[in-house]
Amino acid sequence: MVKSAPVVKSVLRKIASILLLLLAVLVLNFVLIYAAPGDPVEALVGEMGGATPELIAELRATYGLDRPLWQQIGVYLGNVVQGNLGHSLYYDQPVTTLIASRIGPTLLLITTALFSAIIVGTILGVFSAQRRNSTLSHFVTVLSLAGFSAPVFWIGIMLILILSVSFPIFPISGMSSSDGTTSTLGYAMDVAHHLVLPALTLGLIYLAFYSRLARTSMIEVLEADYIRTARAKGLSRRSVVYKHALRNAILPIVTFAGLQFGQVISGAVLVETVFAWPGLGTLAFDSILRRDTPTLLGILFFSSLMVVVMNLLTDLLYRRIDPRIKTS
Amino acid sequence: MTQNLLSVQDLEISFRTAAGEVQVVRDLSFELAQGEVLGIVGESGCGKSITALSLLGLVPNPPGRVSKGRILLEGEDIVTASERRLRQIRGNDISMVFQEPMTSLNPVYSVGEQIAETARAHFNSSRSEAWERAIEMLQLVGIPSPERRAHEFPHQLSGGMRQRVMIAIALVCEPKVLIADEPTTALDVTVQAQIFDLFRDLQHKIGAAIILITHDIGVVAQMTDRVIVMYAGRKIEEGPVSAFITDPRHPYTRGLVNCIPRLSLDPSDDPEPLFEIPGVVPSPSDLSLPRCAFAPRCRNAFALCLEKSPPLLPVAEGRAAACWLETEKPG
Repeated sequence: MVKSAPVVKSVLRKIASILLLLLAVLVLNFVLIYAAPGDPVEALVGEMGGATPELIAELRATYGLDRPLWQQIGVYLGNVVQGNLGHSLYYDQPVTTLIASRIGPTLLLITTALFSAIIVGTILGVFSAQRRNSTLSHFVTVLSLAGFSAPVFWIGIMLILILSVSFPIFPISGMSSSDGTTSTLGYAMDVAHHLVLPALTLGLIYLAFYSRLARTSMIEVLEADYIRTARAKGLSRRSVVYKHALRNAILPIVTFAGLQFGQVISGAVLVETVFAWPGLGTLAFDSILRRDTPTLLGILFFSSLMVVVMNLLTDLLYRRIDPRIKTS
Repeated sequence: MTQNLLSVQDLEISFRTAAGEVQVVRDLSFELAQGEVLGIVGESGCGKSITALSLLGLVPNPPGRVSKGRILLEGEDIVTASERRLRQIRGNDISMVFQEPMTSLNPVYSVGEQIAETARAHFNSSRSEAWERAIEMLQLVGIPSPERRAHEFPHQLSGGMRQRVMIAIALVCEPKVLIADEPTTALDVTVQAQIFDLFRDLQHKIGAAIILITHDIGVVAQMTDRVIVMYAGRKIEEGPVSAFITDPRHPYTRGLVNCIPRLSLDPSDDPEPLFEIPGVVPSPSDLSLPRCAFAPRCRNAFALCLEKSPPLLPVAEGRAAACWLETEKPG
């Protein structure tokens, strides 16, 4: 069957609009940073302990900061197209190298937190939707309210106080305390040990959201006419709930998971900072403090790239789950 | 009297509301014989759909429940049956075609799968056997190129096609009783006719008894053997379909029958004004009053009608009506 043709076409159209979107993001970010107060060269000079006006002018010329805005943008765009996101002012490394070295920890943290939250949240939501006045159902409501209202750094600090300080079960911060002499397995265990608290912190926030979403979505689906049909057929309760209801109720969860996964960096900034997790979030935070504009721009660009790529993937995944999307 | 296939006795269905418990169906009794087509007629909200659901043990609970009475399927009470037993009955002994073909099929599974899983739930058949059976059923309900259609999803089919699929699901296990709750309300008139032809045809082939729930008197006249008229949760008249059409006894039934517009092609023929029954169906919470529920809308109501609710009494051979006019004369 020739089913793939329209899919390919719509994917191509999506990619074209994504490229345009990324261009707009690049320009906008650049202009915003340019307009922001604070001069990267002055920040750099401040770290160096002062410099002569001649050196400052030289530095400006080196980084192209003495040229007009539109020229700066032009040079920057040209570089980005060639895969060059610029050179970090602070780390004295290419921004791409810098991002590549930090993306691993962030992905590890986000995927752990997000996937655990989706799985646990969906299970909680499905169970509580079936018994709307049960203790579990009220627990889900309270949990999501708490998760929505409590700031993520507060949860992080509380967890550190309880599980690292009062009861020193988990390390306070960082990703590893090994000195490089341990085995691979030992290193992995060590990282996992360090991962628990930051992932739990971020996961709780996500869990609040997904348990609520799953509950609402499941309640809605369970009222649908086709669920009545499924019951009238004499199907088992398990089949009605997991085959007929869940498959439909999971659609909004997939959408949000895709969107949220795209927002890895913004989601991670606070948690990574609280736990000194060596990921993109801390890198972004530090770059802001240090006026390291090329790094910051690089992270922002990379972050929007993640968003659009995940949107595209979500779209494709959606087609697999919901047959209605294929034809429309 | 031979034992009937289905026997509903003194059925009462209650719903918990903010204003207390309300009986949406009361004192409902009827029999259904093998191979019979029984029509249940009434306006929206008269309790006919919830009665249908109760036959499958599917009254939404909470807030609803069967609060009194028995529903005997070949002598076995459905009201007190276990959920496990009910699952065996649903779709196998009693199955149902719903009003909304557009939303009654699951959008994420192919129609073939939705038919086949019903067969698998009740027979110990393999996936491929059930799939073959699904294709057979699609053929039986008149869907062209069933092998291809079986792989399609509900949104790829028209409303009429979807209702055929619903019928295929309902009939795949050759049930003893088929309940059709306004099966054509959502469909075009031409498609309606096709669906009813299909029902009649399949009834000959499979021999199921049918309970046809409708508010369309024309459909009743064409399809059914016997008719029950419900008003505000009660049965108010019962009898063979011919008597129902030609000699309705209850003023409400007369109103319903008169509501059918007549077609006339003669331009000189002064069109009669369309008949209507004044007023609206009373809300269930009004029903606690000790009067005939129809009295406020009845042209012939007299003092007694506002004092006491009339009992259902035989008015002729095989007929019954609940109206004081039949037994008492206005004085």
